[in-house]
Amino acid sequence: MEILKQIPSHSLSVVSRRTGDEYILVPVTENIADMDSIFTLNETGAFIWETIDGRKTVEEIIHIVVNEFEIDDATATKDVIDFLSSMKKFLIITVQPLPSDNSSGTKNEKL
Amino acid sequence: MKSYNLNIAGYIIRIESDENEFELKPSSRFIRSIVPGENHEVLVRVHPNAYLLPENAEKVFSAPVIDEINFITNNESKEFWSVYCIDSKKYFIRTVYTNMNNQSEVTLEFSLCSKEWDLWIESVAEETDPLAYPLDGLLLYYLTVINSDIMIHASGVNYRGRGYLFSGISGKGKSTMANIWKNDGAKIIHDDRLIIRRIDKEYFFFNTPVYDNDEPLNSPLSRIYLIDHGRKNKIVPVYGATAVIMVLANCIQHNWARDIIARRVESVSAMCQNIPVAELYFKPDSTIIDFILDNE
Repeated sequence: MEILKQIPSHSLSVVSRRTGDEYILVPVTENIADMDSIFTLNETGAFIWETIDGRKTVEEIIHIVVNEFEIDDATATKDVIDFLSSMKKFLIITVQPLPSDNSSGTKNEKL
Repeated sequence: MKSYNLNIAGYIIRIESDENEFELKPSSRFIRSIVPGENHEVLVRVHPNAYLLPENAEKVFSAPVIDEINFITNNESKEFWSVYCIDSKKYFIRTVYTNMNNQSEVTLEFSLCSKEWDLWIESVAEETDPLAYPLDGLLLYYLTVINSDIMIHASGVNYRGRGYLFSGISGKGKSTMANIWKNDGAKIIHDDRLIIRRIDKEYFFFNTPVYDNDEPLNSPLSRIYLIDHGRKNKIVPVYGATAVIMVLANCIQHNWARDIIARRVESVSAMCQNIPVAELYFKPDSTIIDFILDNE
């Protein structure tokens, strides 16, 4: 899956704050915070959020999740990709392909 | 007068004019907030003329006139007040004071880093209240931002030394709740809008001058209830991030700058780690008082 080679980053248009084991995410669009669309991440979501650093690929993030939560590859892959898809849909993360993949036509592939 | 100090929510605000042509005359809602002394937290210099915004000032927020008639909110296209910004450092609030059919353009220039602000009023009368609506609330709002405090839609009461805050949007029962407690001897801090501050590791809530002759009041904060009407009294505690976002939704916020949003989220998160938060569904009668006290 080419998705696995993509690199997610935190969007600059979100304010995040850890509280206990959870995270609060406030999207900021056109300089205005959308207080009707505040997100909270549970412990697992918070872990994935903290693992996203703009350098690790999706595949690497899945590997880290497998080790952290001792779950199988298939479950972790589905959970991480579902999570990232939702985050991308709400503009909370951005995704870019690995530079070396630019020529392979994956640039426009969507999570 | 040429200058006076206000103590609002513990903020000492000095209003000062060095012009001779006009007198500063705070309206009656501020009278009981005037305090003696020279020390102040923020100085507002009042100038009796219009202010031309710098060309590089960018409009970052605009609030429409909002009319609420029979519980129907109507956002008119007319602008009520707006905020301009230069490089996220210097801010300008612009609005209009209407007095005796005379409209006067008003500009407050301020910075989140400076404690000396300037207020220009286009055409002043011989006696002018420099902090007319809506500028008074806006000025206080930005003081809460600077101090990492919280301005919230809520009624608040002090009952036998305990402070209860009932938060909710219009129509959820803030005033109703305040009146129920008042009838049982509680001290009403305010029935609509409060400022919450952390002072020496303890949280307090304060009223602000809204009505004529409002007396400055405050109370320690013991609990926050997010209220709604119900068929029976019911408390549902909320924790962690859920509590934070529910309280945030009721805070007064002009969320046009990342750093302001971040400060607000930070302040509310810290408060929710110290103060219990719960949803409260209530019947509008005195049974709610014992219900709350029994469930503490």
